[in-house]
Amino acid sequence: MTRVQSGTIVVLLATIALNCAALAGEKTAWRLFVSDHSEPIVNVIDLLKQEKIETYATKAPARLYRSKTGRTVLAVQRGADVVTAIDSGISFDDHGDHGDIKVKAPRLLGLEIAGKQPSHVVEYGGEIAIFFDGEGRARIASERMILESKSVLRETAPGMPHHGVAVASDRYTLLSEPNVKNSDALPIGIKIVDKSGAQIGGVHSCPDLHGEATSGNVLVFSCATGLLVASMDGSAPQVKHLPYAAALPSGKTTTMLGGRGLQYFLGNYGADKVVLMEPTEAEPFRLVTLPMRRVDFSVDPVRAKFAYIFTEDGRLHRLDVIAGKLDGSLRVTEPYSMDGHWNDPRPRLAVAGDKIAVTDPARGVVSLVDAMSLTKAGEIRLGGTPFNIVAVGGSGQTHDD
Amino acid sequence: MIKTLRTVVLAGLVSLSPLAAGAVSTKKLNVVASFSIIGDFARHVGGDRIDVRSLVGANGDPHVYEPRPADVRTIAAADIVLVNGLQFEGFLRRLIEASGTKAPVVELTKGVQPLKSTEQAHNRERSGHHHHHGDYDPHAWQAVPNARIYVKNIVDAFCSIDPPGCTTYETNAKAYDATLSVLDEEIRATIARIPPHKRVVITAHDAFGYFAHEYGLTFLAPEGVSTDAEAPASDIASLIRQIKRDKIAAIFVENITDPRLVQRIAAETGSKVGGELYSDALSRPDGPAATYVDMMKHNASTIRKAIAPDVP
Ligand SMILES: [Zn+2]
Repeated sequence: MTRVQSGTIVVLLATIALNCAALAGEKTAWRLFVSDHSEPIVNVIDLLKQEKIETYATKAPARLYRSKTGRTVLAVQRGADVVTAIDSGISFDDHGDHGDIKVKAPRLLGLEIAGKQPSHVVEYGGEIAIFFDGEGRARIASERMILESKSVLRETAPGMPHHGVAVASDRYTLLSEPNVKNSDALPIGIKIVDKSGAQIGGVHSCPDLHGEATSGNVLVFSCATGLLVASMDGSAPQVKHLPYAAALPSGKTTTMLGGRGLQYFLGNYGADKVVLMEPTEAEPFRLVTLPMRRVDFSVDPVRAKFAYIFTEDGRLHRLDVIAGKLDGSLRVTEPYSMDGHWNDPRPRLAVAGDKIAVTDPARGVVSLVDAMSLTKAGEIRLGGTPFNIVAVGGSGQTHDD
Repeated sequence: MIKTLRTVVLAGLVSLSPLAAGAVSTKKLNVVASFSIIGDFARHVGGDRIDVRSLVGANGDPHVYEPRPADVRTIAAADIVLVNGLQFEGFLRRLIEASGTKAPVVELTKGVQPLKSTEQAHNRERSGHHHHHGDYDPHAWQAVPNARIYVKNIVDAFCSIDPPGCTTYETNAKAYDATLSVLDEEIRATIARIPPHKRVVITAHDAFGYFAHEYGLTFLAPEGVSTDAEAPASDIASLIRQIKRDKIAAIFVENITDPRLVQRIAAETGSKVGGELYSDALSRPDGPAATYVDMMKHNASTIRKAIAPDVP
């Protein structure tokens, strides 16, 4: 026993000493990008100073998407048929056992990706695919090209207009197959095309396809009947249908998130339930009933076992993904009823380090909640109707060299 | 982040204490191994006193493994967690943190003389900076003398949390160690039959540094020490030139990596793929590398047959 301890302690201390010699300092930076429900603007907040540092004009109110690296924020402006890009100013350089952080001012990139009715944005590997509903096709760019303000890498062939989705890897693109009888209906499945646009195999059936997410190397789409689970590692993408368990009540997932740090998926299931999905498990679906109808949810990329769900009574709930139970909640805003239009201004969530940021459009503020204690941690006044929100940042090391 | 894990590992070891007396005699020790090769070692030492579960199973790639909520529950229920160390299990910290486990986490490479990672892999990720990180090649089990150290460490760890079983663990380990000693001799004899100037092998990722060092071969790999990074085209081009120039005939795919890169290199150099080597995971039970001993024998004989088919 003594041997076990001392041997390891020596190794640990040696490793720590080795690291410290190479380090010059540690820095933390977090920024919130917040769009407005009715104004064409994106506000940028420095979370540590809790103040607005920048406001960018867009052409229409934007839905925001952050790249996996956090280097880029895309502003999807459906009302103006365009997607623009912002360099978040925060970047990391991975060095295996630590990351270097670089913090610069955020800047609006010159790039405009134009097309009719941009909708879903999906990043897989380094490729970002933006689907344009009005053209039934996707435009695909790597994050590096977006940062260099270069025009899109490639686009898929135009198709029948529909509310669809595309996921691109370096070799293949998964594309939604429209319902040819009714373009207003949701897609009926997924097809795979290669770089030349040639279709590989048949259409993988997925009735009422809406919602997709990635977690690690697994990609899922939600259908009325269950999930399509795709893995893109092999020589060609493998796609399997995973039906909803018979024990689940009738319902379906239409919005999904992928776990970060842990491989799982979280979806809505009816208005007042969510479902935890682990495609490789013997029992892949775990249903969690919420006290009220769901407004928004978000996974915690740092504390991998937690996700957060905001309900219409103005409360934020913490979901323990391992136990499959809500383990705490906090009243954050006044109630926001889910009656009315689906796109009415209601709170949206983003996790930023040890804070959860909640937009409160009725009061024009972003509320902050401490993720560990689930207590209020201040608010930032923006005015207007703050709506979509993404967080970018983290901690890293800085070097003098 | 990493600092947190270190603290957890440390705390885990400090709390290494005998299980409540009595509990052990009725309940099997719940052992979690990070990947299949360690699981096999643990099974040989623990025998029927333990239940073993490997997080990354047969043919799985520990370098890019994505832990699942089910793994968190597995770790939370563990009495002890056995890992390789040398920064091999990148997924471990998240699991330990999420599980809140108090079980000791034992790094089995302690006492192993670690080899430096190859320069090729380093130049790629450093991009001008100079850092100390991931300096050591984690694939230490690929040399049998190191496997014998892993086994000793497992005995120590099991004995400290289950003293009544210690005699059994020591007896089991002694028998297994004798098997490993014979295995070591066999591999040396197999490699000895290959003419020294022909002992150059191409694999997908640098998993065989310890094998090469111990048994006197040279391994070249386009992917570097981790399977995580794509090999840059320039590295592949220079590897292809080298294969053509040196007339290297032995090119192998690995059970855990995509075979396409290796197949492309074989095609471009007009060489034949000499078979499949098992690097970071065992095969399924009906495969040629269901145990560590089978895996090492399979690798040595596959290499020998490809390079020197005419030698018996
Ligand atoms: Zn490896």
